[in-house]
Amino acid sequence: MSWTNNRAGRLVSGLAPLLLPYLVLFCGGIMLTICQSFGVFTPLPHAGAALDAYAKILTDPAFFSSFGFSLGVAMVSAFCTMAAGTFLAYQVWQLPAKLATAALIYKIPLILPHISVAFVVLVFWSPSGIVASIAHSLGIIQTMQDFPNILYSGWGLGMVLAYTLKGTPFAMLLVLALLVRFDVRQIQTAAMLGASGVRIFFSIVLPRMAPAMHTSFIILFLYGFGAFDIPFVLGESRPGMLSIHVYNLYFKHDLARRPEAMAILTMMFFFAVIFIIAYSKTVQRLENGVRKL
Amino acid sequence: MKHTVTLILLMLFFAVPAGVLVLISLASGWRFPDVWPAGFSFSGIALFLQQKEQILSSLASSFVFSLLTVGVTFFMCLVPAAVFARNDFRGKTVLEGLLLTPALVPPMTFAMGLHFFFIKLSLADTLPGVVLILAIFSYPYMFRALVAGFQTMGEHYRICARNLGAGPFSILWQVELPLLMPAVVAGGSVVFLVAFSEYFLVFLIGGGRVASFTGLLMPLLSSSNRSLAALLTLIFLLLPVGLFFILDLSLMRSFRKKGMA
Repeated sequence: MSWTNNRAGRLVSGLAPLLLPYLVLFCGGIMLTICQSFGVFTPLPHAGAALDAYAKILTDPAFFSSFGFSLGVAMVSAFCTMAAGTFLAYQVWQLPAKLATAALIYKIPLILPHISVAFVVLVFWSPSGIVASIAHSLGIIQTMQDFPNILYSGWGLGMVLAYTLKGTPFAMLLVLALLVRFDVRQIQTAAMLGASGVRIFFSIVLPRMAPAMHTSFIILFLYGFGAFDIPFVLGESRPGMLSIHVYNLYFKHDLARRPEAMAILTMMFFFAVIFIIAYSKTVQRLENGVRKL
Repeated sequence: MKHTVTLILLMLFFAVPAGVLVLISLASGWRFPDVWPAGFSFSGIALFLQQKEQILSSLASSFVFSLLTVGVTFFMCLVPAAVFARNDFRGKTVLEGLLLTPALVPPMTFAMGLHFFFIKLSLADTLPGVVLILAIFSYPYMFRALVAGFQTMGEHYRICARNLGAGPFSILWQVELPLLMPAVVAGGSVVFLVAFSEYFLVFLIGGGRVASFTGLLMPLLSSSNRSLAALLTLIFLLLPVGLFFILDLSLMRSFRKKGMA
């Protein structure tokens, strides 16, 4: 065949095993979501106009509060995760070789599924949980009711805790991968020139770790924004996370409301895409930074 | 001193939860305000043995679809990763970014659209359907690992083998795949973990017909007897650790045999 001889043809046929499922399943799936949001290909024939679902959602204050809530939970948990992960990774990196093996326990939550991490948060932070018991035995609280309502405060603190616990090892992994290639002599020189530990951390180490911190922030943010598993275990009803909102529309209401669920998903998708553009820019920066070393 | 603080922090965050799970699985009712379980019993384990068949079959089902997902993602990514590592072309960065999106956007956004399509193709509620949806969500990890693997390997081995008269198949099978093994294991481990611990996609596409360990665990998390949930979570932890340990060991051994390590 002649077209396989030219370079473009060879590239396309080489990439085909990946491009084909990507186009059919991923792009096709997104297209179907978008179509159904306009009332096309829905299980029930759609009676109204194409933009009905969007009009309904965009006039619903519950949608906006749920969107804002998801944004907030994702933002706070991604920030806490990034901060904790960076700090711990820097500490682990400084451990002598003998202790570094013991530090591998940080990978435990990496293996646990999200719902198990949510379970761990439940065990520790519920009003009858372990933290409450410890507070009681220390005399800080007298009864269960004295314990602050952390899991169902309306602020999504339980989800933030779960995402942070699950995500911190992941952020550590990314940051450590950069630190491995970091030259210790830079720190030694700074110390000899009289820089304090805090100064060294902020002026020398932090800029080096920044690319990994950005990457982990964006990945964790997007995950927290759209994931289902943790909110399903720890979620509060009002305002709920967007994923739970979509789940309820999809499974618990009648089929006529299917376009609404799909319209929310469509908006979530485009919101995520805007973030991914920022992500690929970060990856570029990360790779440029590595080349400079 | 400073290192002790680091280790204590790590223990507190990551090891203590696992330890507490062990205690819960053995405790006979651990209530407020006890800091330590009032008593220990094997009731959790008895419950486990009682439901042994259901637990083992959902464990096996999770295991099977996770391994199949690893296999599917491997075959999807092998040749494209080689093409990607060895060629520079216009739009490569953009294409790479696009190919990584399925792991980043909320999986709901494409899975729910596909669900309808899968029902029409009678792929919904079947094992192949679950494997496909998990593969499309998790292949980016395999792809990145394989691209990195091909990049570290370089082209010298392939050219050398070709000069010695090896055909494309034996180059792949005898030269490249053994050298690529660490990357395959790295990517495969992540894909396995993602597939094994996913709840929602298996629930949506599997529709309860395809049993999964997470699907079994979910209703137990809110039950009054937490022993069984803790026990199952521990299995979740130990099974992949054991698997990776065996994998690492056998990989090391095969490398030693060939005098590569």
